[in-house]
Amino acid sequence: MAATDRLTGVTHPASVLSPATLLRAAIILGVLAIWEFLSHSGWLYRDVVPSLLAIGHALFDLLSHGEYYFNLGVTAAEVGFALLVGGGAGVVVGIVLGANRFLSKAFEPYLYYLGPTPKIIFFPIMIMYFGVGPESKVALGTLSCFFPVALSVAAGMRQIDQVLIRVGHSFRANTWQMVTKIYLPAMRHPIINGVRLGLGVALIGVLLAETKLSNKGIGYLIIQAYSIFDMPRMYAMLIVLFVLAIGANALVGRLGGLHAIKRT
Amino acid sequence: MASPNQSSNAILTADHINVRFETAEGPVIAVDDVSFDVRPGEFLSVIGPSGCGKSTLFNVIGGLLTSHQGTVTVGGETIDGPHQSIGMVFQEESTFPWRTVTDNVAFPLELIGMAKDKRIERAKHFIGMVGLNGFENRYPGELSGGMRQRVSLARTLASEPKILLMDEPFAALDEQTRLLLGDKVLQIQQQLKQTTLLITHNITEAVQMSDRILVMTYRPGKVKRIVDIDLPRPRTSEIVGSEAFGRYVAQIWSDLREEASRGMRDEEQHAMNEGASS
Amino acid sequence: MSAAVARRSGSYMPQAVGIGSLVAFFLGMELLVQTGLVNRFIVPPPSEIIGSFGRVIVEEHVFSRFLQTLTECLTAGVMLTVFGVAGGVLMNRFKLLQQACETWVAAMASAPIVLMYPLFMVIFGRSAWTIIMMGFVSALPPVILKTIEGISGTRKVLINVGRSFNLTPSQQFWKILFPAALPTIFVGIRLGLIFALINVVGVEFLINYGGLGQLINDLAERYDLAGTYAAICFVILVSVLFFIVLEKVERWLRPID
Repeated sequence: MAATDRLTGVTHPASVLSPATLLRAAIILGVLAIWEFLSHSGWLYRDVVPSLLAIGHALFDLLSHGEYYFNLGVTAAEVGFALLVGGGAGVVVGIVLGANRFLSKAFEPYLYYLGPTPKIIFFPIMIMYFGVGPESKVALGTLSCFFPVALSVAAGMRQIDQVLIRVGHSFRANTWQMVTKIYLPAMRHPIINGVRLGLGVALIGVLLAETKLSNKGIGYLIIQAYSIFDMPRMYAMLIVLFVLAIGANALVGRLGGLHAIKRT
Repeated sequence: MASPNQSSNAILTADHINVRFETAEGPVIAVDDVSFDVRPGEFLSVIGPSGCGKSTLFNVIGGLLTSHQGTVTVGGETIDGPHQSIGMVFQEESTFPWRTVTDNVAFPLELIGMAKDKRIERAKHFIGMVGLNGFENRYPGELSGGMRQRVSLARTLASEPKILLMDEPFAALDEQTRLLLGDKVLQIQQQLKQTTLLITHNITEAVQMSDRILVMTYRPGKVKRIVDIDLPRPRTSEIVGSEAFGRYVAQIWSDLREEASRGMRDEEQHAMNEGASS
Repeated sequence: MSAAVARRSGSYMPQAVGIGSLVAFFLGMELLVQTGLVNRFIVPPPSEIIGSFGRVIVEEHVFSRFLQTLTECLTAGVMLTVFGVAGGVLMNRFKLLQQACETWVAAMASAPIVLMYPLFMVIFGRSAWTIIMMGFVSALPPVILKTIEGISGTRKVLINVGRSFNLTPSQQFWKILFPAALPTIFVGIRLGLIFALINVVGVEFLINYGGLGQLINDLAERYDLAGTYAAICFVILVSVLFFIVLEKVERWLRPID
């Protein structure tokens, strides 16, 4: 990335070796070195800090067998459904609450105060309703992501420039038109942010449920590795999981941003 | 063209100040060879249209901008950073929202290590001077914009600077409040015999308060003219209606009008270029 | 929404409708379960749930469990305040560090950190420390980010005031940057504390150790349906109260904003 110094007008050529990048590389190398040292030092109980080689092996092993991708697919499907149902419901409820002051004052406080509660504790109930299969995980994910999406959309509704709404009414747009042509486009940022947040909590909800009681999915694989004390495998799975989760989050954010650029 | 008048009893001297900025469109000269002096106890206003570099000048004299050519001297010392003889009052909201009025005003005294009760006493004195008695324990959030500017003024006065340097401190206030605050500032200035340098775009304000007015041109900012304001002291805002006042205003406006028009044409040209290139 | 606002706007109607709907919902459920339309082995009648409150409170020592959960949460809270604010301050002080690491911290904020709990169990065992460390680590990113945001978001004019008085960098930080950043820092700490509570209770449930989270797990495994629902209600109550208290504290600490 070339940088132009505003005060002197001098342009520095694109440099991969910017100080920040160097520092990052140094930090990463440092952490890896300390890790490897701890791994061979014998200070910690065996395998709590497996050697980088072992982790690398496990990573390769993990990614080269179909089993992982099957479970990944299960988890992804569960999260996808949860986001669809919970997120969808959240958008609808958010629009209703955002558009109507009375309903908002009556019901939004419940959403607001119930939002920051740990949803995993509802899992036993979900199992009772939906059984031990993927449905209970989807249900928990749905419950998790409903709240942030609804609150985000409701807030977004209230922030829409009132003038735009008046324009819609002045052209006698019906409700569906108002929603699709005015509310939703005007709210793309709060919606995207709500979805990002919803994705994050749905993912956590589904994964935690899988670790608690499941025979499929990434969460299941993680707890299985724990139960047989296969630490390299657990680390490998956590690494892949984090990379995917952060990537998905960035992707959603980028999609939302691109959307904005096209419009302005 | 102005005559720099660099008299030997000047308290502050600006000597051939040149300030250049690099922008995306190439180098811009903000201040072009500006020289003037400030006499002890006088009220000097610097007036000019937007874009004439007066805020840049404010930053140079205040020592916040050091990448310039030319020198500013105060009491024989060259300025290369904020100087303790110069007290600055900024245009924007600058009170500390987390401190009471008293703690805000006592800030400079706290810095020099004055004992607590002495600080509070001194602060009270300056709070009274700006007419905010009774508000000592309030927070800026509870005060109006005009009152907050008075707190900022009191804070700067508490550091007892030789020169008070103000950058459009009343720009954000409505006209009536501005006139009354102007009265207050005049009162204080006359009481303390405070040397004051005021940056403003408001002609009425400048004529009301000043002994001399330095009129600047549009970019690149040069000294167009220095006007002596020969109105009797002590002055109040009542003077605004007088004939002599009107004549000074008209004179300065005719100078400024030319510069302001240039500024507007320049901005329009700029906007047109932007549109053409996108 | 304060009572004063409601009075001024002329009515308590919205809140009444809200509460009324809630009551109607419970009455409806009661009816559905009692008439057998909803299986009482999946959803016990609300009356039975409420009835089990007393039993659960006494027999299951709800209060001491609550204290345990609270202690774990507050320990995590203190840790994340100290390390989070210090981390944010350090990153702000050393711009290079900020440039290098801020995006990493932001990425961590969206990562499912709590999924590392099996790993922490290996390190700390099935103990309070696993719970506390999980709460601490998962809540750290927002505190760091908000601290950075607060300090770097200080209005330029306030920085200039400091410069005009020739403050040393240390004075500039303690007298201007830090006080100006406090409101935002408190927002970060509040977010952190909420994340901490959520994760503390969640991990208690998952590893079946600790206070309230474990209670739910216990009761569920014993098939004490009404008890499980009752315990869930307790946790919701604690969570909501915690949230409200935090809001009040934050408002009290910011009278000047």
